[in-house]
Amino acid sequence: MPKIKMKRQNIRMDMTAMCDVAFLLLTFFILTTKFRPNEAVQVDIPGSTAQIPLPEKDVLLITVGKVGDQKDDRIFFGVDDQNTRMGILDELAKEFNFTVDGEMQKRFKLLDQFGVPLDQLPQLLKMDPVELANFKQPGLPCNPDAKLMAGQTGSDTAKNHLGKLIIMARTLNPNLRIAVKADKSAEYGRIDDVIETLRKTNSNRFNLITSAKAGAAPAHAE
Amino acid sequence: MAEIVTGKKGAPHTDMTPMVDLGFLLITFFMLATTFSKPKTMEIIKPAKDDPKNKDAPKVNKNRVLSILLGENNKVYFYQVAAEDIAAGKPMQVDSADFSVGGVRESIKARQTEVQQAYGTKDTLVVLIKGVPKATYKNFVDIIDEMRITDVKQYAIIDRDKIDTVIMEQMGFIRR
Repeated sequence: MPKIKMKRQNIRMDMTAMCDVAFLLLTFFILTTKFRPNEAVQVDIPGSTAQIPLPEKDVLLITVGKVGDQKDDRIFFGVDDQNTRMGILDELAKEFNFTVDGEMQKRFKLLDQFGVPLDQLPQLLKMDPVELANFKQPGLPCNPDAKLMAGQTGSDTAKNHLGKLIIMARTLNPNLRIAVKADKSAEYGRIDDVIETLRKTNSNRFNLITSAKAGAAPAHAE
Repeated sequence: MAEIVTGKKGAPHTDMTPMVDLGFLLITFFMLATTFSKPKTMEIIKPAKDDPKNKDAPKVNKNRVLSILLGENNKVYFYQVAAEDIAAGKPMQVDSADFSVGGVRESIKARQTEVQQAYGTKDTLVVLIKGVPKATYKNFVDIIDEMRITDVKQYAIIDRDKIDTVIMEQMGFIRR
């Protein structure tokens, strides 16, 4: 029987269109990506039905969470605006009598948040990045009963460095919005310390950062 | 004249497959590295501390108050008593609930209904939120969220007072 000879055909797909799409998407993702910053403290934020988005810039972030395997909740401070950061460093150098060199300035400029008593800040800024990543920062002293303006002496638990920083930052940049980011399991007592400190510095309006929770819609929206 | 024969006609074909592969690989990477969901926030506005107008805290009729005390282990305690009654040594009723379905939300709603019957509108209800130091931040956020969900118009986050200390003693929260 004669066989039907099929003509062998080389299938060639035109990949150009696909390639276009791929690179278009790639460009989109490259441009929209905002990398998660290195965080000194791990925070698992609670969910809520709140809908107010966090402002893009001028955020003063107070973080409360546990560092590594430590049991206590520690308080960290960060400002996203780098000019404000430099201003804070200058003021701190004046108040706590330490000298700041170029390298320390550069490191502070890139330090998203920190949590050491302010007099220990020079030591923190002398660390190289690897050392810093492994260093368990003890957290900012935050005693809401401490006087903010007077020179603070005594043990760390009697001081309120968080309040000092908030006043400095808000004086340098009045547009700052205050956000509190705390771990689910953080103790209310500690949060209360932070809130009382905020009230003391006359920052009566602040935002708690939560993640969007699906489900439960507000009753009036139904 | 002899013509030069130029092989095949048409545009040269490039194999785009590796390029597409690379493109998609990078897309995958950026997709996974992107943090898309912007965190949401809940706004809290506290009264100014040294405001002379706030020297005398407003007195609220106990009939339209619900006090909530955040306790340990995801428990909340709520009661409706006036300070005078405590001072007079009257017995008080303290209920407890948790954040599960039918927990604290139902209790708030029940109280809203009571207030609605007495005053005509449930918006008259004032919720006072307090917390023991060992309560978790999650519970704190949850209870404020409940205010939104149950549409409580007036609520305040305040310090613990005498009544709460009594409750804390009863529940064994004070063990310092």
